[in-house]
Amino acid sequence: MILFSLTILFSVGNASAQTVKVSLSENKAPSEKSILVDAKVYISMCVSEGKVKINGWERNEIRAFVSGGNSVNFEVRKKNEQTRNPLWVEVVGFEAGNNKNVGAGECLFGEEIELDVPLNATIDIKGNASETNVNAVSKARVKFQNGDIFFNNVAQGIEATTFEGDVTVENSSGAMNLTTTTGNIVAFNVNPKEIGDIFKSRTTSGAITLQQLEFGQTEANSSSGSIRFTGAIQNGGQYIFGTLNGAITLSIPQSSSGKLNASYGFGAFNSELPLKNVVKPNTSKTQSLTALLGTSGDATLNLETFSGAIRIKKQ
Amino acid sequence: MNNECFDIGTIQAFLDGELAADLIEKVSGHVASCDECAIFLAEAEEESAIAFSALEQEFNTFVPTRRLWTKINDSIQKEEKSFWQTVEAFFSTQATVAFASLLIVCGVFTWLLILDGEKKADDLAEIFQKSESLTVPNIDSIVPETTFEQISTTAPNIKKTIDKKPAVSANNKTVDRGIKTSLVKKENLVPRNAVPLKAKSENVALMTSETVPGEDTYIRTIATLEKTVDSRKDEVLKSSARFVFERDLAVSDDAIKKMKVEIRRNPKDETAKQILRASYQNKIDLLNSVADKTELMASLR
Repeated sequence: MILFSLTILFSVGNASAQTVKVSLSENKAPSEKSILVDAKVYISMCVSEGKVKINGWERNEIRAFVSGGNSVNFEVRKKNEQTRNPLWVEVVGFEAGNNKNVGAGECLFGEEIELDVPLNATIDIKGNASETNVNAVSKARVKFQNGDIFFNNVAQGIEATTFEGDVTVENSSGAMNLTTTTGNIVAFNVNPKEIGDIFKSRTTSGAITLQQLEFGQTEANSSSGSIRFTGAIQNGGQYIFGTLNGAITLSIPQSSSGKLNASYGFGAFNSELPLKNVVKPNTSKTQSLTALLGTSGDATLNLETFSGAIRIKKQ
Repeated sequence: MNNECFDIGTIQAFLDGELAADLIEKVSGHVASCDECAIFLAEAEEESAIAFSALEQEFNTFVPTRRLWTKINDSIQKEEKSFWQTVEAFFSTQATVAFASLLIVCGVFTWLLILDGEKKADDLAEIFQKSESLTVPNIDSIVPETTFEQISTTAPNIKKTIDKKPAVSANNKTVDRGIKTSLVKKENLVPRNAVPLKAKSENVALMTSETVPGEDTYIRTIATLEKTVDSRKDEVLKSSARFVFERDLAVSDDAIKKMKVEIRRNPKDETAKQILRASYQNKIDLLNSVADKTELMASLR
């Protein structure tokens, strides 16, 4: 009897959930809304499906646009005590028909989800999107189950995680922490905002490509992917690159200098740049070397691979 | 002393507990208010104590009472009864039956708890087997070396071959499953009971002999994470992601296995130690990524 009741209850619940979903997906009319906010507003959002585009503009206003999905709304979580402008805004989805919030998740979904936000805004998005573009904001924190993430012109740091997708960062500054499981990581022209800002990137099976990075500390790790670094070695910089099966390739200027610690287990090592004071332990089967690159040893390069190759090339 | 005071006979009877209840009350009430009677009572009590100590031997002499005789007779009768008659008599009352049922239920629960404990111990031993690469001198002949390329191209085939491999060799030493452990499902493993106790204790002993400082911490962390991830990876990872995950796990396990072999060959091999640590960390990061994804998915529900 109890089992029978539970089955009926489950069926009814399932059917009602499907009804909600159908009614939501049927709502294809674009939804648009805007709100005046503080210049340094913190924007949080949950996305369950769609292509997300976030763009910074010079107005102290958030404009949200959703096409082919649910309707958009703003929930003000915190206000600036002096100006009374919203300081923390949550962008939520709701069912257009009865003006009620969709549910506990309050995630937005649609074909396209666009946000125009103040240039100094901090964005915090989580969920599931096919593709995410973030352009010209102060700080970004993005965590998606899958989908590629692109950042451009982010001023004060990025924390990005996608489990199945690529992470690309261009022309940005601040501390970076980029993680993907099966995708690649590309960082181009990325600099620290403050002294002490660290660049960290990690992928399990993808490749990491870093070009023109000027961080004091740069870390890149991959399980089976390769790591490629192109650019100048910073004075006093620390570079920690590790991969198990992939190759590590540094394309650096001939004038580069630093202390090199390379562990390449059962792999190989090759350098086009001259190395001084090369020390190779002869007692072990696993291979490693320490050497001086260039004239001084200000920077430290720790390169580690289990069975891949380490190559240092002239830029 | 006043007129209400009791005579020596009554006092003695009071001490011997031979008075009626109302009289006891009267005597004790009076003694509480009359100092002379209290002294009198104390003296009588003292005399009684002396008399009792003198006669103690006599009092303690064993004289069978009627009750004792009855007990003896009952015992003789029980001896004469058959076993089943005794059992029947024992279970003749409802209270006894209820108590016996309770005992049986308790016994069953205790047995189940013991079984569960044994299962946990076996699981622990299995985790040790998985996480610790236990090497035997001829390991390479037992488990052929597998390169990354081989893993990535022939992963499904590897699984088939591994499933047939015994977890325990003929000389009762647990062999290293190396990179394959992650590919083999629990149900495909050799039955837990097949691992002899000696081998289990050897595993535990080897767990404590670290190849690099802090290795135990890595192993414990990995075991904990594996426990979490194993139960959820099917629902969290799609088939393609699952394949990549298993492949990367295999790569990490392969690196760990080979580096441990190298360290055992040459304990001063700092490069191998460094790569071993990196491989452990890599495996932890890999498992963490699945745990993180699980967490994210749960937060979105």
